[in-house]
Amino acid sequence: MRAADRAAPAETRGETGAGARTAAARLAGAAREAVRRASTVSLVLYALALGAGIGLATADYATRGGYPFGGVAVGAWTAWPRTGSVGADPYARAVNARRGEIPLAIGEGMLLTAAQDDEGQALDATCTYTIAGITPPARAWTVTVAGRGPRDPERTIVREGYTSTETLRERDGRFVITLSPEVQAGNWLPMPRASGPVRLALRLYDTPVAASAGTLDRAALPAVTRTGCAA
Amino acid sequence: MTPRGRFLLATLAGLVLAGLVHIGVVLLIPRLSETDALSRARTGEGLDHAMPVYTLVTGDGPAPPEAWLPIPDPAVAVGICAYDLADGPMRVSARTGPLMLSLAVHGRRGAFYAVTDQAAVRGALDLVVLTRAQYDEALANADENDVSRDVRIVAPDLRGYVVVRVIAALPSQRPAANTAVQAVSCTVDLPAEDKAGG
Repeated sequence: MRAADRAAPAETRGETGAGARTAAARLAGAAREAVRRASTVSLVLYALALGAGIGLATADYATRGGYPFGGVAVGAWTAWPRTGSVGADPYARAVNARRGEIPLAIGEGMLLTAAQDDEGQALDATCTYTIAGITPPARAWTVTVAGRGPRDPERTIVREGYTSTETLRERDGRFVITLSPEVQAGNWLPMPRASGPVRLALRLYDTPVAASAGTLDRAALPAVTRTGCAA
Repeated sequence: MTPRGRFLLATLAGLVLAGLVHIGVVLLIPRLSETDALSRARTGEGLDHAMPVYTLVTGDGPAPPEAWLPIPDPAVAVGICAYDLADGPMRVSARTGPLMLSLAVHGRRGAFYAVTDQAAVRGALDLVVLTRAQYDEALANADENDVSRDVRIVAPDLRGYVVVRVIAALPSQRPAANTAVQAVSCTVDLPAEDKAGG
């Protein structure tokens, strides 16, 4: 790569003097010239650099942020039953190691996340949403909201989430949590930031569902519905 | 071979190499990472109780300083006990209280065992993490008349950690949850003591 690189700019410079052709044609000509003149050593170096560069970049991309795959999509929610178990895929293990995450084990509980509402639109901090319905059987659960990236230190956090005990319920046991930047009656979950995308996390603790996440039904999870937007 | 063919061959070789590098790096990240839970748990190895990892915010306490979990649950206090089975089997004892408590044993490849306080016998949950050899030894030394209430778990690797989670269902239970995490004891089970006791 180094040798080929050196050859290419020299060629380009030489042809800048001629100055007649367009930049694209010059670049193509330089590349062709470099390919024609490249020695075996420079080709080997080029292959090694290409392999290292693309390999490292894609590995970094795949293990940065959230888990790349292994989730079970149920309505607006995505369940992550296996990220903490011995059967976790190598990508999930790498993501956990990079973030210092301690995932929930199968016998302990299960994490579900939602970055979209039921219609597939991304959750936005300027909008109001209701999280309504029931949860799968669990001894305890929590619904929390978080924005991506570091927290705004200026903003005082009133509340980050609800636990199953705290939540006010309807007579039939269903609940409605309102996620909104404005104060609401009932279970009000304030938006964690002024604008930008947010995501919800539903953690079920001591639940039998973790072992059979594939059979989860949409109706067994709370629905996330957008009711209005400020902007 | 034409120059162009050689160049294409080099590109192809580079892409194949990229695939190998990608797979190798992804597999190596957990082993080489210095910020993963296992490496961080190691700093608390000398403690005889669970090292608090995420302490809940209470009325008089400021934001927890030792929080390194990326997106923690604000209602769950988390503690961690690192073990190195080369020193001997690890005994984790928890007393159950009004709050829900769970223990999960993590090895290098992930969690291989988890138990909640519902499995407790007379309010006590005793977990012993050991290697296969230590397990065989414990079985051989066991007294038939003495009924053990320990839950014995054979670990796949020598090193790992036990995670303690206590859920505070209400904000008023948060101080109790923080205390409950610290009250879990993690000690090395020395065989000499076993023999003296039995």
